[in-house]
Parts: sequence; C-alpha cells; structure tokens
Amino acid sequence: MSEKQKKLSTFDSMEEYLEEIEALANELMAKAFPQGPSWNTETCCLNALSNVFITPREVIVTADLPNVELETLKVEVLNENQIDIIAKMKKKVSFSDLGICHRSGEFSSLHCQGRVHVGIDSKKMKISYKEGILEVRFPRKNIHEIE
Amino acid sequence: MSESIKIIEKKTVPSEATMIIGLPDVGLVGLIATSYIISELNLEEIAYMESDLLPPVVVLHNGLPHAPLRIYGNQNLIAVISELAVPAPAIYKIMREIVNWGKEKKVKNIVSMGGIPLENRQTINEPEVFGAASNQELLDMLKKSGLKTMNEGYIVGAQALSMRYSVSKNVSAIAILAQSFYNYPDPQAAAIALKELSKISDIKIDVTKLLERGEEIRLKARDIMKRTQQEMNRMQKSQEYDLPLYV
Repeated sequence: MSEKQKKLSTFDSMEEYLEEIEALANELMAKAFPQGPSWNTETCCLNALSNVFITPREVIVTADLPNVELETLKVEVLNENQIDIIAKMKKKVSFSDLGICHRSGEFSSLHCQGRVHVGIDSKKMKISYKEGILEVRFPRKNIHEIE
Repeated sequence: MSESIKIIEKKTVPSEATMIIGLPDVGLVGLIATSYIISELNLEEIAYMESDLLPPVVVLHNGLPHAPLRIYGNQNLIAVISELAVPAPAIYKIMREIVNWGKEKKVKNIVSMGGIPLENRQTINEPEVFGAASNQELLDMLKKSGLKTMNEGYIVGAQALSMRYSVSKNVSAIAILAQSFYNYPDPQAAAIALKELSKISDIKIDVTKLLERGEEIRLKARDIMKRTQQEMNRMQKSQEYDLPLYV
C-alpha cells in the first residue's frame, strides 16, 4: 500500500468514526426529544413537559400541569422504569382555542411519561402539587449504608 | 454554503431607542416578557432577520407569513423576539448582527431579558430578579434603582453574547434575569422581570393580564420550550449553575 493510500485510509476511517459518533448523537437526541406532535387527538391528550432528576437517594419526577383538576390526577408506576402521569384539565382545549384552524381536535387531559433508569421504591411515593407543578418523589432502592 | 445574515427593515427604525431582546431561553422568560410588551404597547413590526442560519420556517399569523425572528418598535422602543428556538451554532452570528444593527441605529441601550434557572423554583412564590450591566455606571444605576445585581456567576447564551458584543461595540447593555424554571415556560417570572424593568426604564407595563393568562401561555408554549431546551443543552446552558473561579 502506498503512503498516499495509507493517509487516505486513515482519513477515511476517521471520517467513518466521526459519522458513527454523529449518528449515535442524533439517535440519542431523537430518543431524548422525540419528534412528532405534542398532542394526541385519539386520546384527547396534550403532552405535558416533564423532568426526571436522579439524586443519590431519591428520584424526583416533575411535570408542568397547568389548568388541571387535582382530584383527577393519576400517578402510576407502570414498571421499574416508567412512570405515567395523567390529569384532566379544568376546561377542554381545542385547536381553535389555540388559534389553529387547519386541524380539528379537542383535548381534555395532560399526559406524560417519565423514564427512570434506577430502582425506585414505588410504595413510598410522595406527591405534591403547587402552582401547576407536580412533584413526585421516590426513594431509591438498593441503597446500602456503611455502618 | 452561504451563511448570509441580514436585517431587513420594513418601516422607519427609530434612533436613540431602547432595544429589548427576548429570545427563547430559560423558562422562555425573555420571550414571554418581550412579546407581552409588544402586544400591550401595540408595537409595529419594523424589521425582520433573514438568514440561512435559521431553519426554513415562516410563521403564519392571521393567514400571513412572518419571519420567525422579528423586530418591533415605536418612536422610542425596539423589541426583538424569535418565535423559533435559535439554533445553538447560529447564536454568535445572530447576536453579533443584532448588536451591530442596534449600534448602527444608535440605540440608547440594549436590555436583554431572560431567566436564571432555579432547581427548586416550584417552592418559591415570588422569584427574584437580578441585573447585570456592561459598565460600572450602568451597574450603579441598577443598584440605585433597587435592582439586585448578579455579582458573580456565568451567563450563557443570547444574554451573554449581547453583553459581550455590546462591550466590544461600546453600546450600553443590561441583562434583566428572573429566577425561573429551566425548561417549563414561566409567565410569572416574566411578569416579575417586567416589573423590575419598569424601575430602570420608562417602560411601564401592567402585568395583570399576563398573570391571568399564565396557564394558557404555559399550554401554548410547550412546543417552543421543548425545542429551546434542545438548543440550551447544545450551548451548555447548565453552566449557569456553575461557580466561577477567580482567585
């Protein structure tokens, strides 16, 4: 193999490597921020914004739930990794209420799912709601203290 | 690829005006506050930004197309907003162009509105507002007006660049930053930032309607907040939580 070919091949493999990294980054971004509408006309739900914070002892899930009836709020631990939050809005919102006339649909609930990648003790879940922000706290499982 | 960027003027642009910048950022504080100023003072669209650095998007309002990054104004006020999350790689050129254009229009000062992310925002009833200024004289003016100033810390993004480029162009610049949610739209923080703005300027705005419409704004702003969060992550906005080291 000539010296020139060797150089080209090094550049090529670097380029391939960078492309792979870029594809991986894009894939991760797509998972973190899925493309698609922030509403579902079939379930009549608007997607709520949410966050998951993992601290050494707790997992804290928050969700922005403005305009909801607190008594309809449901927080469900679907499995070890997934939390489902849904609440009915005080007043239904339609596309026309949001100034959109080229779509039709009406929304009655706010919904979101939080993914947690550590074990949580769902039986000790604590919920609070203030100014439209929901906060759900779970102690983490399998925490060993040194005596 | 061509990376042209220019501000197209549609109407006469005032000189010696105050220029308010409210681009999408933490809690959308600046965008909500500046949009509210535009609607309350009935400002007219006087210019818009045309650039290959922005996504190929037009925003339709009342059936007519508008550029996402627009400039509104009256005789003594200029307000810059973007209805699109500004792509992180484009923020330098966009802010440089806005500041250069402001300098060309002889703006009196540039006021950048925004949020300071607060981890426990939901536990705070009344967020605090902090100011930063491009020179000592302005900083003293902020303090005299009763505004708390941010003495140490990082500012990241549009406000940071507005400050940096203003200093290099010798344009007076102020940042008004309200404690807010990081990635939830925060109309209450925007209202409080506007109250503080009235202390240091002639812009007196009644924020009652903004507070009344808070829940509606939070619902409508979910999409732009989500896209803004992606760009904030790209520009390492979380660095605003960091403690600076200057021994």
